[in-house]
Amino acid sequence: MDYKNLAERLVKKCLKKGADAAEVYIETERELSIEVRNGDVETVQETSAHGAGFRIFVKGKMAFSNCNDFSENALDNAVKSAVKFAQNTTPDENNVLPDEKTITNVEGLYDPEIAKIPMEKKIELAKEVEKLAMKDSRITKSAGSGFFEGEGEIFLANSNGLVKSYKSSGCALGVSVVAEKGDQKSSGGEYCTRRFFADLISTEEIAKKAAKEAYSMLDPQKVKTQKAAVIFHPDVAYAILGGILRAINGEKVLQGASFLAKSMDQKIATDLLTIIDDGTRAKGMSSKPFDGEGVPTQKRVIVDNGVLKGFMYNTIVAKRAGVKSTGNASRGGFTSLPGIGSHNFYIAAGESTPEQIIRSTKNGLLLKGVTGYGINPVNGNFSGGANGFWIKNGRIAFPVKGLTIAGTAEEMLNGIDMVGNDLDLNRSFTAPTLRIREMQVGGE
Amino acid sequence: MNLNQYCIEDIPRREFLQKSIKGGLAIAATPILMSNLMSCSGQQSFSTKITLDPQMLDKTIKHALKNGGEFAEVYVENRISRDIKMEESKFKSGVFGISQGAGVRVISGDKTGYAYTDDITEEKLLRAAEVASYIARGTKPVAPQNIERKERDSFVTVKLPLNRVADDRRLEVMKRANQAALDYDKKIKMAFISYYDEVRGRMIANSEGLLISDELPMLFFIVQTLGEGNNTRHMSRERLSRHSGFEMFDEVSPEEVAKTAAREAVAMLQAKDCPAGKMDIVMQNGWGGVLVHEAVGHPLEADNIAKKIGAFTGKLGQKVASDVFTMVDDGTIPNLRGTINFDDEGTQMKRNVLIENGVLKKYMTDILSAKQINMERTGNGRRQSFRHIPIPRMTNTFIEKGKDNPEDILKSTKKGLYVQSLSGGSVNPITGMFNFTCRESYIIENGKKTIPVKGATLVGSCLEIISNIDAVGDDLGFAPGICGKGQMAEVTAGQPTVRIRGMNVGGSKA
Repeated sequence: MDYKNLAERLVKKCLKKGADAAEVYIETERELSIEVRNGDVETVQETSAHGAGFRIFVKGKMAFSNCNDFSENALDNAVKSAVKFAQNTTPDENNVLPDEKTITNVEGLYDPEIAKIPMEKKIELAKEVEKLAMKDSRITKSAGSGFFEGEGEIFLANSNGLVKSYKSSGCALGVSVVAEKGDQKSSGGEYCTRRFFADLISTEEIAKKAAKEAYSMLDPQKVKTQKAAVIFHPDVAYAILGGILRAINGEKVLQGASFLAKSMDQKIATDLLTIIDDGTRAKGMSSKPFDGEGVPTQKRVIVDNGVLKGFMYNTIVAKRAGVKSTGNASRGGFTSLPGIGSHNFYIAAGESTPEQIIRSTKNGLLLKGVTGYGINPVNGNFSGGANGFWIKNGRIAFPVKGLTIAGTAEEMLNGIDMVGNDLDLNRSFTAPTLRIREMQVGGE
Repeated sequence: MNLNQYCIEDIPRREFLQKSIKGGLAIAATPILMSNLMSCSGQQSFSTKITLDPQMLDKTIKHALKNGGEFAEVYVENRISRDIKMEESKFKSGVFGISQGAGVRVISGDKTGYAYTDDITEEKLLRAAEVASYIARGTKPVAPQNIERKERDSFVTVKLPLNRVADDRRLEVMKRANQAALDYDKKIKMAFISYYDEVRGRMIANSEGLLISDELPMLFFIVQTLGEGNNTRHMSRERLSRHSGFEMFDEVSPEEVAKTAAREAVAMLQAKDCPAGKMDIVMQNGWGGVLVHEAVGHPLEADNIAKKIGAFTGKLGQKVASDVFTMVDDGTIPNLRGTINFDDEGTQMKRNVLIENGVLKKYMTDILSAKQINMERTGNGRRQSFRHIPIPRMTNTFIEKGKDNPEDILKSTKKGLYVQSLSGGSVNPITGMFNFTCRESYIIENGKKTIPVKGATLVGSCLEIISNIDAVGDDLGFAPGICGKGQMAEVTAGQPTVRIRGMNVGGSKA
């Protein structure tokens, strides 16, 4: 099917049925998922899907509809429903669509090879990574391994004459295992996600990390409730970045529902903190040539050596704020309206090696896992469950589980005193190892 | 790949994915498969009733078992939904969706094959059957039974069908909630009202000869309010959700929902830093039940038990909790959010007592795990949509009511934390380590609620916590939620007021 043509044709259909302006977002995709456990295939799922979302404007009022049935009748109904519902929403002069016709050139989003590799080979890979992870005698059970692949194409057209599309792909390989000792159980997992099949890291490396994550947490010891340094491992980047991302959402800023609403151009963290949002990185898992409504993506500095430099906007919120869209319209697929979200969002690398950070910590927690919601974007409060390793005199002393950590974003961001050089940009939401001088740790 | 963490709560879906799908694909196009807030219709009567030629389903099942395998199933789904948002007293958006599709599943031993199609045509169904049967190649086929229509009891009553409710009435409910929230206190700066309803039509046919169909309406109404004052802000939340018709709003008014949310937002502006360390917890009835949903419910889902990795593996018949603790999963409670006429594999719903007076009685199964652990089918095989394989999931899960007076429980607690509501939590079903974030909580001093404290985290292990529950009230209450386990499910959590001794609390004060 010529989806690009269909998207353009559907925009015209919307205008004909009563819309003043319209946008059509079509998505097609194919996915394969293989799960293996105990050396045998457990599930194989193969799916393909498509769908269209219609964003309709009538006299400044906006409505949206979507459907996954591409028969003319179903598409007609979807368009009619949106036009009809637009009567109900509140008109807003900011309800406009973008008209930038250019796209950002982003390399390496689509690997045509993934689909050509036979299923048997993919099953073999999953079996191999499981087998290797089970090799260590401390690992007693497999929780399963898997290979996933997906590819899709997005077509976007709007009544400002914008017509764009891009293709993307991805694959992932991972394993999850359990280490047992007496009554103790400890689980660990590792995975690798890449745009290109050939870029997946070796099964040995994945297996080794998964096994280590499980067995290294056996025999945890207890620690007292205390204030201590906390070293955030890259695996827990979310705990810091999640709350910041939601607090720099331009709409939340306008609504006053952000702890950073009044902090533009102000120092919010130590000099060591620089945060980047990059939609343009070659082969980046969250890179794309244009955002969820067709605005070209950029690479932006969000926090520059501790100074807040950028909020994130889509077209409508940008107009309301009197600024230009930052290319951060995010879309949860054809079923949803564009919101605001990040691309490859990360804390820039610093100078220290992770070993140096540990060595220079007298008493503290190396945080490997954190539960809860991270920093609260509305008021900046932070509280979470924690596990990892306790550090004494610059060395990892023993694993710790079932701890808690708490503080506020202000204390945490202004407490960052070391940032590692171990940034892995193959992840799309990431940070290097970093240390916060002191946080409240809850234990015995 | 297995998820290490299951969570229940309201994190936006994107973040949920980033956070908990270890190994999930994050490619641009993936969300179609992960989300399915479909929708659509105006006043034209779109129907979710599925009318299909049973012959076609029979043929698909036979085709699916052609290469081998012991069980095959076709699941056909049709969904019409509306999703309306109000922010800053404006109707920001309305989303309508129509979605339809069918999934074909083949089970052979411990293996599962699955494929789905958006187009429900014979050609596409046979192609899906072909793909799903890949895993069964070379095994001995089991001859399928001819399908025959069955009926099941319905636990969902409807007085005002959603497809006959004019959009104006939906908007009206939202406006009323918005106004009530803003009127509650001048510290309420804004209300976020979210209205969602859907009608999901299902038809299930399988090689055991089952053919069954129904239509399930659902409403989900969320009010969040932003309170500002004392140099801080608090975003509160209250939710109302049922499988029912629009009469839900006659039984619980939108104003009531809004006021509950606004009260929390104002109260929490006074919150002080919470102390860290071990504390006794008194958990108020209702949504606090998410604690056992996570800490005990997920580990009792039979998929990880069948894999022999779940925290409760091998503990059937053993004493795992204190005598006062009885936990139930019951998908038949009329009209609750977790209620369903039959599960997404067509199994009859029933009341399942999981832990009775501290003794482990039952795991929650789907067809596959029931077979693997040689246990009955409990009616817990659920799926988010035709795009997902059914897996063991909870329905309405709760701590059965006890004998204690809730006031006495508080009064007899000298020092501790009174948790009025939780945001949500997560658990690692293998190790049983869980966490919860408090939404509204107060310090207990000498048996009395005193000052509110900032959203603290509670952590612990599942086996420990249910042994440490020493008081169970007689005030069982329920509240609706969203449960994520790689796919979403609508659930209810419930409990009476309970006390848990010595939990680790994550506060910011020493």
